[in-house]
Amino acid sequence: MTEMRDLADDLRERLAKAHQGGSEAARRKHTDRGKLLARDRVNRLLDPGSPFLEIGALAATGMYGAPDATGQNDPVPSAGVVSGIGQISGRLAVVIANDATVKGGTYYPVTVKKHLRAQEIARSNRLPVISLVDSGGAFLPMQDDVFPDKEHFGRIFFNQAQMSAEQIPQVAAVMGSCTAGGAYVPAMSDETVIVKDQGTIFLGGPPLVKAATGEVVTAEELGGGDVHARKSGVADHLALDDAHALAILRGIVETTPATRVAQTAPIEEPAEDPLGLYDVVPADTRTPYDVREVIRRIVDGSRFTEFKQLYAETLVCGFARIYGHQVGIVANNGILFGESARKGAHFIELCNQRGVPLVFLQNISGFMVGREYENGGIARDGAKLVTAVACSVVPKFTVVIGGSFGAGNYGMCGRAYDPRFLWMWPNARISVMGGEQAASVLATVKRDGIEARGEQWSGEEEEAFKAPIRAQYEEQGSAYYSTARLWDDGVIDPLDTRRVLGMGLAAAANAPTPAPNYGVFRM
Amino acid sequence: MSNEFDDYISADAFAELGTLLDSVLVANRGEIALRVFRTAAEHGIRTIALYTDLDADAPHVRAADEAVRVDSYLDIHAVVAAAVHAGAAAIHPGYGFLSERAAFARAVEAAGIRLVGPSAVVMEQMGRKDAAREIAVAAGVPVIPAYDLATPVTELDFPVLVKAAAGGGGKGMRVVRSAEEYPAALEAAAREARSAFGDDTLLIEKYVESGRHIEVQVMADTRGNVVHLLERDCSTQRRHQKVLEEAPGPTVTPKLRAKITQAAVALSRAVDYTGAGTVEFLVDNATGEPYFLEMNTRLQVEHPVTELATGDRDLVEMQLEVAAGRELEIEQHEVEAEAHAIEARVYAEDSHHGFLPQAGTARIVHWPDAATSRLMRDDAADVVRVDQALISGQVVSTAYDPMLGKVIAHGRDRETARRNLLAALDETAIFGLTTNAGFLRQLVASGEFADATIDTAWLDHHEVPAPDPALARALAAHAVADAVLGQSSGPFASDAWRASGDQAPVLVELDEPVSVVRDGTVSQVGEWRIRTLDRVRLGVGAAERLEVSVDGERQVVFVDAGPHVVEVVHRGQRFVFTRPDPFAAAGHELAEGEVTAPMPGTVLAVSTAAGQRVQAGDPLVIMEAMKMELTLKAPFDGVVAQVGAVVGDQVALGAVLVVVEPDDAEQAQDQR
Repeated sequence: MTEMRDLADDLRERLAKAHQGGSEAARRKHTDRGKLLARDRVNRLLDPGSPFLEIGALAATGMYGAPDATGQNDPVPSAGVVSGIGQISGRLAVVIANDATVKGGTYYPVTVKKHLRAQEIARSNRLPVISLVDSGGAFLPMQDDVFPDKEHFGRIFFNQAQMSAEQIPQVAAVMGSCTAGGAYVPAMSDETVIVKDQGTIFLGGPPLVKAATGEVVTAEELGGGDVHARKSGVADHLALDDAHALAILRGIVETTPATRVAQTAPIEEPAEDPLGLYDVVPADTRTPYDVREVIRRIVDGSRFTEFKQLYAETLVCGFARIYGHQVGIVANNGILFGESARKGAHFIELCNQRGVPLVFLQNISGFMVGREYENGGIARDGAKLVTAVACSVVPKFTVVIGGSFGAGNYGMCGRAYDPRFLWMWPNARISVMGGEQAASVLATVKRDGIEARGEQWSGEEEEAFKAPIRAQYEEQGSAYYSTARLWDDGVIDPLDTRRVLGMGLAAAANAPTPAPNYGVFRM
Repeated sequence: MSNEFDDYISADAFAELGTLLDSVLVANRGEIALRVFRTAAEHGIRTIALYTDLDADAPHVRAADEAVRVDSYLDIHAVVAAAVHAGAAAIHPGYGFLSERAAFARAVEAAGIRLVGPSAVVMEQMGRKDAAREIAVAAGVPVIPAYDLATPVTELDFPVLVKAAAGGGGKGMRVVRSAEEYPAALEAAAREARSAFGDDTLLIEKYVESGRHIEVQVMADTRGNVVHLLERDCSTQRRHQKVLEEAPGPTVTPKLRAKITQAAVALSRAVDYTGAGTVEFLVDNATGEPYFLEMNTRLQVEHPVTELATGDRDLVEMQLEVAAGRELEIEQHEVEAEAHAIEARVYAEDSHHGFLPQAGTARIVHWPDAATSRLMRDDAADVVRVDQALISGQVVSTAYDPMLGKVIAHGRDRETARRNLLAALDETAIFGLTTNAGFLRQLVASGEFADATIDTAWLDHHEVPAPDPALARALAAHAVADAVLGQSSGPFASDAWRASGDQAPVLVELDEPVSVVRDGTVSQVGEWRIRTLDRVRLGVGAAERLEVSVDGERQVVFVDAGPHVVEVVHRGQRFVFTRPDPFAAAGHELAEGEVTAPMPGTVLAVSTAAGQRVQAGDPLVIMEAMKMELTLKAPFDGVVAQVGAVVGDQVALGAVLVVVEPDDAEQAQDQR
């Protein structure tokens, strides 16, 4: 089994590749036009020295074909859009920047999903959205997976209107194409910048206009910066170039309300060196270890006050601080039993009563099975935990530090439970059950059918049946398979766990927490 | 009162100076006032300052025990009245202002007050160059061949120098190289002489094309003792204004030294000189022959180099002793060069744009301090002296001389002194106001100065290029990035963090965006690797002094990073980087053909009128500012549309004096 340190190195390499964006030729073509690359635009937009919590950097990897001839670059790295949270003019903001070097910045299905996810982050944390638009619109060959459905392209503009209504600033700079539906990103924004002789906004481009009406018109005449800043009023500010546009954006953000800052205790670094995470956590999720080893390396001063320490020891609950923020931590330390679920539900209720954000450290193979437990009503207890998680009003953060299997995923605040952020360690595994278990279940069902027909099924035949199932689960259960599909917000180096949680907490502090309210707990 | 005073003198030659001379009024301002006060205070002499309304809060006023207001430092009656009112026993005139005015000396004498300087008679003799020359010739002092004003132009051996008989400090001087220029030059010199000295008598003499300015310091008491304190070399001049001065003269041979010092002493004796004086010579580089130029009957600006070179002497103390009637303690055989000293005059002027005088607020002022600088390379701890009167927040107007202070470094030999001066200029930082400190630093660093080959005309023929702002910009970007990266804490601390990747480059917006790539504490900015070694707040605003390593070389830089402007002083030079204002209009067009006042001053002459056709380069307006004449010319061929200047008007910087409309507006546009 690979060591955690090697997994972190592997992650670093994957990210470095993705961060390059499109092919070298595409990048050169882009910069030769005097345009900045998407990540350079983001760097310049952010305050000097601002950190950037990138979301979904490895999205779409491997989903739309094999890497290019060099074997280096995925065809749609980062799904062709850079998104994340950074600081602009002293305020936290969500940035969404199309990468025109990746398929012209067109929207693949996962691109849409990533854009929507960035908007969701902005909305739940009430952060301004700054869009750096440079996109050819929907990726036409896949329009059926991009255009028509509820969570498709149209939702982007729906969200813009909704957020604007909620006083969440929507600001855009048009730094390249902005065609068809894409034209609505700037048009729907509260305030818009366009780059002269570079940005264009139109519902139908010159080829479409010619086809529809026979009118021959250049892109600049149709919807260039001068047109929109001087005539149409679609843009509010005309910029001379990328840098100027970004500077104008920074000025605009300066006029938006300041980010709410939570009252926190003084920050303390963990007393136990986080570097130890590489050693205390076995990369193989099947090897048991004490999750407190992880907690101590994440929280302020390595101080952790446990709740019900002596009860239901497979679920560790307790209070700690991360970057001064009070948090309640729920961490798996073995399989979930009925009492573990009840303990977890109780603790989550406590945190909601007190308005304390929750951090879930997920490493769960599932709830205990067997007659004794089913008869004892483990499903009833599991439901309590799931209800408590689902109805939580405090910000929730989930880090999958090992396995995430079955109903354990639900009880421990999986993606479906709306954690503000969900990150995976590179060793993490996620699937409805383990590959071996799935293969066995399916083999048992098959064997039952075969034997019911009075036929024989040899050990070899069964193994040949199980192998591809195991292989499928092996592939689909990996953190990278997950992150490509945006089941999470990113794969992180375990050493960054504290930092990203701190950033998430700082972002979440910007949105008020409503009063708790629960559904029926099955008693 | 004077009888009583004389009794004291005869009574005790060993009495404390302060008991012989209980108070001194300095009829001056700025650094020289502070300089005199310093020595006076050491001897327990009560110090009295003068001030005008502009100087009400000036450092020399704060430093004095008492201060008396006058309308003008040039008002003889008011100055003497102030001294009487304050009960001053003596008046020290400093340099400039009334220091060489015989009328003043007489008025002081008449009021029964001692003047720290020679008698009115001597001032008159030496103040008139024609008279001085005759006396010099009689005393056997070599003089430059001169011509009578009546000499026909055809008999002049050009180039010749036309200068004001009553003048000094380069005012009213004109070099004339051809017969054609001669009449106009005479007229201009006369006009300047009249306005500067109230006397338009002119002298004409042979002009030495390449020479060194060597001057001898003399000191004479009332008992007939005259000593010299070696020579100074003040060859680094621009437009006859001294820029760098040093002692002893680097090119002066023992033979030449003997010749000029003996001549200086002889001349002093010839006129019964008393106090401090300076006998100036021009030494012809072609022949090595010295020619007497003039005798300055006062303490010179550059006196500190003599004090430092001759073993930490105090010329002001000697002046006061002489004024108190005491005998000079110093004997000629005791005077020898014990060190080398170089002085750099820091002016409020833009050395790279025609030496235009600058006015404004010196927001932050940092003068070198040997004790705090680790750059000094001499064994002695105290190798830098700064005589200055400029403090943070002080307003510098163009009403007075633009000299802000003098940075003087010394060392066991010239090269050591030169290196110390370089280091001292590196530590000279004046924010808010453009000064010549960077220009001085470049000069001192030049091979020509190091080799002592700069003659008096060198600066008039050599352009010292404006320094490239690239390194200063890089240093500013580093300083800003350094500050930003260490500024905040928490998960969104400014550390350019990126998950599982290198720190993002820090983009610093200066006049242009500068990318700072960090590697730990090292900033890679362009080709430079910069690391902060030491960083100290100056105590005014956000300004900081940084010691940095630039590619391994230790350098000092001063940075004041504001939200809109980042000001940097590096190697004396001030750089102002204006950060972009994204909402500002993309640059407004200046109106065509507006001729504006390049500095505040007085309109002397208007040689055009509305409707007049002019050609590019035609003089339109003559302005006087800082006692210098400026001719404002037509920017292009066209017609004068408007004349806003009126003779005698005080005009502000940027005032539109004349508007010229181009012949063809379109064409003019294209040429821009």
